[in-house]
Amino acid sequence: MGFITPALLGGAALVAVPLLLHLVMRRQPRKLVFPALQFVRKRQQANRRRLNLRHWLLLALRCLLIAGLAFALARPTLKGTGLRGKEGAPLAVALVVDNSLRMQYIHENRDRQQQATDMAHWLVKRLPANSEVAVMDRSRLSGGFVVDISTAEARLSNLTPESNPRSLEIVVQEAIQLVADRTDHRQEVFLFSDMAAAEWTEEAIESIRELLLKSPDVRIYVVDVGVEDTQNMALGKLKLRNNILRPGQPLHLEVPVKATGMSDDPLVEIFLSTSAEQAVKRGQRHLQLSEDGNSQITFELGDLSLGTHQGYVRLPTRDPLEVDNTRYFSVEVRPPAQILLLGENVKDTLFLHEALSPELISDRSDVQYVCTSEIFSQAANLQLENYAVVCLLDPPPLSENFWQRIIQYASNGGGVGVFLGHRARLNGFNETIVQQLLPGKLKLRSRYATYLRPRNFAHPALAGLKDYAENIPWKVYPVWKYWEFADLAADVYVVARFANNRPALLERPLGRGRILCLTTPISDPLEPQGREPWNLLPTGPEPWPFVAISNQLCGYLAQQDTESLGFFAGEIVTLRLAPKQGVSNYVLRDPGGESIRRTLPPGENAIRIGTTHALGNYRVVSGGNSGNLERGFSINASPDLSRLHRIDLEQLTNALPQERVEIAQTLKDVELYVDIGRSGRELFSWVITLVALVWSTEHLLSNRFYRSAA
Amino acid sequence: MATLEKYLKPEVIRQISRLDLRAQFIVKGFLQGLHASPFHGFSVEFSEHRKYAPGDNPDDIDWLVYAKTDKYYVKKFEAETNLTGYLAMDLSASMAYSFEQELTKFEYSICLAAALCYLMIHQNDPVGLVTFGEKIVDSLAPKSKRQQIGNILSHLAKLKPREKTDIGRSLSQLAAMLRHSSLVMIFSDLLADPDEVIASLRRLRHGGHDVILFHVLDQAEVSFPFEGLVELEDPESYESLEVNADAYRKDYLEEIRDFRLGYERECRQSGIDYVPLDTSMQFDRALTEYLVNRRNCG
Repeated sequence: MGFITPALLGGAALVAVPLLLHLVMRRQPRKLVFPALQFVRKRQQANRRRLNLRHWLLLALRCLLIAGLAFALARPTLKGTGLRGKEGAPLAVALVVDNSLRMQYIHENRDRQQQATDMAHWLVKRLPANSEVAVMDRSRLSGGFVVDISTAEARLSNLTPESNPRSLEIVVQEAIQLVADRTDHRQEVFLFSDMAAAEWTEEAIESIRELLLKSPDVRIYVVDVGVEDTQNMALGKLKLRNNILRPGQPLHLEVPVKATGMSDDPLVEIFLSTSAEQAVKRGQRHLQLSEDGNSQITFELGDLSLGTHQGYVRLPTRDPLEVDNTRYFSVEVRPPAQILLLGENVKDTLFLHEALSPELISDRSDVQYVCTSEIFSQAANLQLENYAVVCLLDPPPLSENFWQRIIQYASNGGGVGVFLGHRARLNGFNETIVQQLLPGKLKLRSRYATYLRPRNFAHPALAGLKDYAENIPWKVYPVWKYWEFADLAADVYVVARFANNRPALLERPLGRGRILCLTTPISDPLEPQGREPWNLLPTGPEPWPFVAISNQLCGYLAQQDTESLGFFAGEIVTLRLAPKQGVSNYVLRDPGGESIRRTLPPGENAIRIGTTHALGNYRVVSGGNSGNLERGFSINASPDLSRLHRIDLEQLTNALPQERVEIAQTLKDVELYVDIGRSGRELFSWVITLVALVWSTEHLLSNRFYRSAA
Repeated sequence: MATLEKYLKPEVIRQISRLDLRAQFIVKGFLQGLHASPFHGFSVEFSEHRKYAPGDNPDDIDWLVYAKTDKYYVKKFEAETNLTGYLAMDLSASMAYSFEQELTKFEYSICLAAALCYLMIHQNDPVGLVTFGEKIVDSLAPKSKRQQIGNILSHLAKLKPREKTDIGRSLSQLAAMLRHSSLVMIFSDLLADPDEVIASLRRLRHGGHDVILFHVLDQAEVSFPFEGLVELEDPESYESLEVNADAYRKDYLEEIRDFRLGYERECRQSGIDYVPLDTSMQFDRALTEYLVNRRNCG
């Protein structure tokens, strides 16, 4: 409570006038003889009491009238409690403007960020010249208080939508800490936000609450620029089955679609472009939405030539939030992976060779793998680096030099498959050097008849089998013998087990490469000479499961799945380079078409790009038009930015310290809070109304008292 | 008639200092309006012969008595001669009170008493006077001579009301004094303990006396016309009270009304005529009204 003209409060001293009149300046009574005094005396007591009561009541009303008039003329103002004790101090204001993509939501022809910025401009114009102002957003770290108010205005005008916003909680915390440091100032934080529930998690509210309790003078005005009943049609996170395709492999992608407040079945389009060409529509489909507004659409595109392909999926319908109507994707179609199959003799490699690269298929253009069969004795002459995967089929004890080369190969990113069989020996395989490769020391050959029975298909080596795993008749491929390990190394992961729960397929990472070890061979013929077969995996009645498993395992070893080409805005993109690719500089072309030339430090085997704020498809080109490098990647916004559901404002204010947080929804509210908080709300009209009320009551009462007396 | 009405107002009478004239004036006016004595109903107990005098109606001569005695006697007055009237006048100091009125209560009472005295003497009824304060102060024996009016009025004119009051005691004393049934006419403001007054009135009534109580109050005592803050003093006890007259008026009027109603109720029960008057009323009219009522009732 404050006063605009406090000196006039002195007028309250005039209250003494009626008091004086009542107590001191009493009239002298007229003396009269009156014989019938006995009747007067009879009612004297009751009458005097009643009269006194009336007198005091009227006196009180008259005093109140004078005091109220003085109070009203002093022009009282009501002030916000958050600014208590800081009367007259300059302001320290932090303006936090939420500039995430979600704020691009258009309502009444204005997007939320525009609305927020306009309100912030209006507010800044009203700030006193000596205020310290900080403009904070979700794009970058706060630079502290700006030099003057015009700089603050310029910063507000330059705000752009942020595709990778920092957490709102952190920005608010920074703002609170910034203004709290100005202990000799009035400390205010203005937050302009759409109040999306995704930003106000319980943890976020709790941390802000704690910080507010630590900074008792800081007050937050939340200016809510959100919209109550939102409408939106959004594409969710785009899922590609393979980022790296082999010739002939179709592009398979799935996109979830979520509709909020809209019920029309949407049309979804897919566009594809190659290199610098324009995007071409490759498909479109009407989507049937489920009752809860969720659905999913799948596109499959074939006939992709070698190279990088980029495109996008789009909802052509218009809705208030357009940023989530398009999702970008990039895939690469690479030449078939080179696979080296090493066996004791070439016959041993036959099954796997046929499974991966069937000779029967006449058209060789769409094969995923090109297999080369060699024998162990020739291994020394082979350039392992030319192959993506090396498969050791039932290896016998081999030279230390061979193992050394294999380990070196794997460390550099090669894939090694070890399929143990009857040629393995304890004394040759339990050597230290081999143990760097194998999951553990060989213990014994188990003769426990069982069969392969993977139960968990979460591992990427088997993930491709997930959809039809239940259709595989695992039992018809019996395993009679397999190797048992004494102890498994710490970094070994059991990918699949036999039906008796013993490890069957084990993975061990080595450097940048991958090593898979199967404890039973996949090259045993149906009737081997001089011994019993270890299993019927390649020779069972139905050959297709073997083909499927072989393809999965080799695909995993060739690391087709690892390289992601789709990222969220703000993520650091890593594009791995092939060994000896020899890229020293490259050109990055962003979605806007601008090209940036960059240099790659010598010895670097990957390109890392951090400037990924613009949504869309990027291209990385090196070596001019001849092009020994042409890669691409896509940047999408996080699906969280499409979650428009709002937090319950009452719940928010209840969770935060009382009287420290005010929520305004219109400019008028802001004005009201600002006025109350600063100069206060004038109460003159209310007080003068009260005074008029007291005055009329006094008038009524005195009239009533004296009329009844007359 | 218009002139006569004008002179009958108490304000005009006050200008004529001689009381007898004033009384005569009033009663004549009264008779002119009525054409018959309203006192007919008073005589119920006695009869007596009286010598004929010139002016008496010859029809009233008792011829039987004339035959025996050879003298003229009139019998008409047989039943009216022995009604003795007593005018009991309150002499308390409060009776001397007047607020903005021409007549004090005492003077107003004298006017009334004079008129009644004149009426009774005019009918040859004996009238006596008793004055009382705390006790009976003075008395004149009842006589029916014409000079009695002069005696009574001159006596009353000399009196100054300055005594303290004990109406109950005085009336009890009067009741003890009277041997024959009489007509007692009391003139008082009755500003004393009502219980004692009523008890003594009953005693009078019990003694076989006909009682008429003229309750004379000042106009100010009836209407409480004061305004603002006043300090009221009792002329007898010299007590004083400071009151706000405006705020108090309603309460006072209720009290005085209750007081008068209380007397009226008690008197009705005891067969006493109660005549409430105040000094602003024209007493000849008030008196006429009362007497007409009495005749109708009697």
